[in-house]
Amino acid sequence: MFYRLSGVHHTRYSQTRQLWPIPADRWQVGLLLALALAAPLYMSHLYLSSYMLPWLIFSAATLSLTLLMGLAGQLHFGFAAVMAIGAYTSIHLTRAGVPLEIALLGAGLMSAVIGCLFGAAALRVKGLYLVMATLAMQFLVDWVIVNVTAISGGSVATLQTPKVSFLFIPLESLNARYYLALAWTVVVTLLILNIKRTSFGRALVAVRDKDFAAAVIGVNIFKYKLLAFFTSSFLGGVTGAILAFCFYKAVTPSQFNFDVTIQLVAMALVGGLGSVIGGFLGAGFVLLVPIILLNLISNMVSSGWLDISTSLMAHIPLMLYGAMIIGFLLFEPLGLAKIYDNARKYLLVWPFRHTQS
Amino acid sequence: MKHTDLALSRRAMLGAAAAASLGATLPTWAQEKAAVQFATLLDFTRVYTFLTDEYSQGQQDYIKLANLEGGIDGHPIKMIIKDHASYPERGIAAYNEAKAAGAVFFDFLSTPVANALMPRCNEDHLPMIAFAHGRADAADGEAFPYVFPSAAIYRSQAALLLKYIDEHEGGLKGKKIAFVHIDSPFGKEPIELLNRVAKTKGFEVKLYPYPVPGTEQAATWSEVRKNRPDKVIIWGAGPGQAVSIRGAVTNGIAPKDIHSVLWLSESDMSAFKGNEVVGVKRVTLVNTGTDNPILKRIVEKVVNAGNGSGDKKRVGWSGYNIGVASMAIAVQAARQAVQKAGAPLTGEKLKAGFEMLKDFNAEGLMPPTTITAKDHQGGGMGIISEWDGKQWTPKSDWASAYQDVVWDLIKEDEAKAKEKK
Repeated sequence: MFYRLSGVHHTRYSQTRQLWPIPADRWQVGLLLALALAAPLYMSHLYLSSYMLPWLIFSAATLSLTLLMGLAGQLHFGFAAVMAIGAYTSIHLTRAGVPLEIALLGAGLMSAVIGCLFGAAALRVKGLYLVMATLAMQFLVDWVIVNVTAISGGSVATLQTPKVSFLFIPLESLNARYYLALAWTVVVTLLILNIKRTSFGRALVAVRDKDFAAAVIGVNIFKYKLLAFFTSSFLGGVTGAILAFCFYKAVTPSQFNFDVTIQLVAMALVGGLGSVIGGFLGAGFVLLVPIILLNLISNMVSSGWLDISTSLMAHIPLMLYGAMIIGFLLFEPLGLAKIYDNARKYLLVWPFRHTQS
Repeated sequence: MKHTDLALSRRAMLGAAAAASLGATLPTWAQEKAAVQFATLLDFTRVYTFLTDEYSQGQQDYIKLANLEGGIDGHPIKMIIKDHASYPERGIAAYNEAKAAGAVFFDFLSTPVANALMPRCNEDHLPMIAFAHGRADAADGEAFPYVFPSAAIYRSQAALLLKYIDEHEGGLKGKKIAFVHIDSPFGKEPIELLNRVAKTKGFEVKLYPYPVPGTEQAATWSEVRKNRPDKVIIWGAGPGQAVSIRGAVTNGIAPKDIHSVLWLSESDMSAFKGNEVVGVKRVTLVNTGTDNPILKRIVEKVVNAGNGSGDKKRVGWSGYNIGVASMAIAVQAARQAVQKAGAPLTGEKLKAGFEMLKDFNAEGLMPPTTITAKDHQGGGMGIISEWDGKQWTPKSDWASAYQDVVWDLIKEDEAKAKEKK
């Protein structure tokens, strides 16, 4: 009823092969896109700048990471470093007078090249060993940024983003920055959705499931592992630049330290590895739930419902948040995306009980 | 509350617009017309935990006292206290929220968050205090009109230690000084200053970085031991400080030769038994203990009246008193601003109020601090105090040191930043 399947006849291959073959899905995506496009109209400055904008950008980052971790199965614990390379490259390029459009490309390429260098380790090692290799990348990149003053601008410096415009629109107003971030997130989303159903995506999945089995059936694992690192790092680099220009308006090393890597991995895992909607849900969960809980608790304290010290007030949301992560993972180990998927499958055949999978 | 909960869960069910669900949770601060709002958005949970509890307790107790004593010309002060866990993005969100709620004054007590918000505060014309954190060049009021360090920045603190060694410990000339620091931007900040002063005063500085977060320093200290320095300056914060002192003592460095940055608290020192570390010296920017008119009034009117904001035994500790001082400065600035320009208090008026502070010493709690439109550091004064086994006792008078070098470095930083633009 909600996802009506009867009467939906695909008479052409292009119809069955479209991104969302079921009309109900298309409706929902269209509605969400319309909501996102109209957000500056109905959202206050506060919500748009502090919640919506970082959520979109971190979703794009999670999607870039999930391409590598979820689709290609290559664990990466240095993704914040990849974003840092992009952010610093773009800021130095724009300061040198390069237009932002090209600086973004440059940021992506620089991240991709350096990301591939470290990704080369993936050709020899897997699993936990790969985690160690990418972790090394995180700390090396951090160290280089902090210690090479030509990059960081001094050990205690913050680099402000210069005034730039994108396609002749100055990135001064919040709306301009929001729409650039939205556009990039839509591009990444569509790209990953499409990668999943190309030979490239299938090759990545084959490599993930068993790399030597993939080699036996003729997938060049050397090529595809490197390509996975290249694509993912490219997207991560541009996302880092977008994060710097659209949200922080400045770059410091602490914006891309190890904690951010952990946050990104948590976003990908809580959302559901390899899932696109999981990228959005996971980023939203990790980024926004602590803030919502904190606001709830501090609301309760300020209205006199709870009488606790400030320190406890700051820690209760963390406890709840931790409990929620455990709870969700117990309830559905495959992440928030799987919860969505279960609901959708249930509604597909509702009011009948049997789901087709 | 029940109603809010229901509304939240119902909206969350929609799932589609996550932002919509936030609508139910915005803090609904009662808008008393006359209240002045101060936002202290701190890190209670992640990096600065060694300090924040004490510090915030001091701030809250002082504001309670200030409200008992008439607030700001009759306007009560309201505090917005939030945790941002030192994440810049959460700091920005909390800042925007507090701004929307009408806060006119901000404190972040986290270098990454403060650095991310300095340009925003300048844009929005809202003053923030950066008491002993944040970037060094913020001391220049012309470059950062709305940022007020209001106390000796790290380079000034290093200068104070050098001057103390020069004047009280047999001079700097020909000495070997080991600078043992955490390998982070904060740890490296004083290096330039040390090198400059070394040139004019003729001593030798050797650098010994140890890795973040500073819980493992064994290799560094055996290196220090090999070089047999005359004096040691340790530069870290939080758990690393006690590790540094342990490292120094076990490697045969006398406690009296150990000198530390501001961040060396009573709880760090209480980890040592007996007379093991008696004689360690530290920069102090705010007097410790409760032997001060403000602290006495806090104890009498707030803590003993049962309205204290936390553990009673922490009243008078270093971090607590720094919190008190930070709010005392802000309240004084606000009082002057309202007296001069009238209510309601705005960011611009408060900035002017800060710049009217002249020889303000919070009834002896702080050095006489004069903030001008140019100098937001307020003179860079401090004292050197010594650990006597129970508490920090002052060993010098309020003074500043090598401020010319400090300001040269600030100006050079700015010139470099301009070049980059």
